[in-house]
Amino acid sequence: MPHKPPTKEELERRKIVGINEETITDVASSDYPLHYPGEEHSWDIDAFRRGFSIQFHHNDPFEASFSLIGIDASIANAFRRTMIADIPTLAIETVFINNNTSVIQDEVLSHRLGLIPFKGGHEGLHKFLKWWRKPTDETLVNSSYYDYNTVSLRLEIQCEHNDKAAPGETDPTKLYKHAHVYARDIEFCPVGRQDRYFSGADTIAPVNPDILIAKLRPGQEISLSMHMHKGVGSDHAKFSPVATASYRLMPVINIERPILGADAEKFARCFPRGVIGLKKVTAKEAAQEGSGYEGHEGEVKAVVVDPMRDTVSRECLRHEEFKGKVKLGRRRDHFIYLVESTGQWESDAIFLEAVAHLKKRARDLEKQVVNMVR
Amino acid sequence: MSREEYQIPTGSASASVGGGAGAGAGGSSSYNAPAVRDYTGSGADGGTMYYMCGDCAVRVPLEKGAAIRCQKCGARVLYKERTKRMVQFEAR
Repeated sequence: MPHKPPTKEELERRKIVGINEETITDVASSDYPLHYPGEEHSWDIDAFRRGFSIQFHHNDPFEASFSLIGIDASIANAFRRTMIADIPTLAIETVFINNNTSVIQDEVLSHRLGLIPFKGGHEGLHKFLKWWRKPTDETLVNSSYYDYNTVSLRLEIQCEHNDKAAPGETDPTKLYKHAHVYARDIEFCPVGRQDRYFSGADTIAPVNPDILIAKLRPGQEISLSMHMHKGVGSDHAKFSPVATASYRLMPVINIERPILGADAEKFARCFPRGVIGLKKVTAKEAAQEGSGYEGHEGEVKAVVVDPMRDTVSRECLRHEEFKGKVKLGRRRDHFIYLVESTGQWESDAIFLEAVAHLKKRARDLEKQVVNMVR
Repeated sequence: MSREEYQIPTGSASASVGGGAGAGAGGSSSYNAPAVRDYTGSGADGGTMYYMCGDCAVRVPLEKGAAIRCQKCGARVLYKERTKRMVQFEAR
């Protein structure tokens, strides 16, 4: 029997992960060689180029959402993991505590300081600043700090009684001076060439100045200096440039038989707002034989408006009246990314950097393989 | 003298042990290390030890053999002062 090439519908069907009431079908992709008799499906750069596209949904400095369509899960996941764990940022790494009489312990305070996200001039952060490596010889540590690998910060704060407080005042922030220590109290101490890269709007400062670090009472003091270094998220989560970088697959909702009238309204309520819309059945549809709309002209019917907003809660599958009328799924090669930056990078730049990073790693691997074969 | 050796928290001679190693490069450092804190008060006279009052957190100078009592509020709980050495932590 000669092999017939797959129809467009068949190719589309192969991309869908089926979602049933309690099971999920066709989880793995099947577009690889020897899966379908007579079909090639070996990876091809031209075929990839033809099928690949990117859509931006929104792109703000702290949150970007975009879709990669026509890409394999392995690559999509590599991008996500690279964004989380391999894009370098600057964070507090060492804390030198001169005095800390607050109720928060030195270790806990240091840990809290480390987690504060900082921002600064992009040129300085990404080009000027280099890695700091701890010298193997402990005695050389103090001479390993340079302006291009270490950023100095300082936090000096003392809590005192506020003489101007109204009598009977109970709010500690009014009763005392510096009762709360915030991230904005951290002072940047430029060294060497750092003035050139981190001054004015480019100064190194916390992204969120209102992060509460500690609470003090009169007589208590925090006096410490800090060193920031570059690091990657695989070392510690504080170095991760993203609050989260995640993706989900594009939901697919297929209404296979008409859902009409009150059922349509109930159906719309099974989904998040904006996913399902209600439309009037037109005279033309009602006249069409076998469409399921015969004699229903003017009634409302459910139509899919924006499947991307669906959370795939499967609520509609629980109701008897929708049995067999709707099919849920997800597109296996449509990844909707959500990248939330912590502030040191622009959200979209994190993704571009992840692509560059993966490319570089592939080149490095290629070199290694070539050396191995030689 | 070893850094780990016990030091009586009086006397100003040993007040600058450690010190946050400043990132100094190029010589043109504009970073000034925080001034060394004076833990001994102005009238440092050898035999006086300072404690923290457990009630009002005031610094209480105590002579040898003196009653253990805060001069300000009369509380009888006094705490030892924290080490004046710089302590280094990893922010993890």
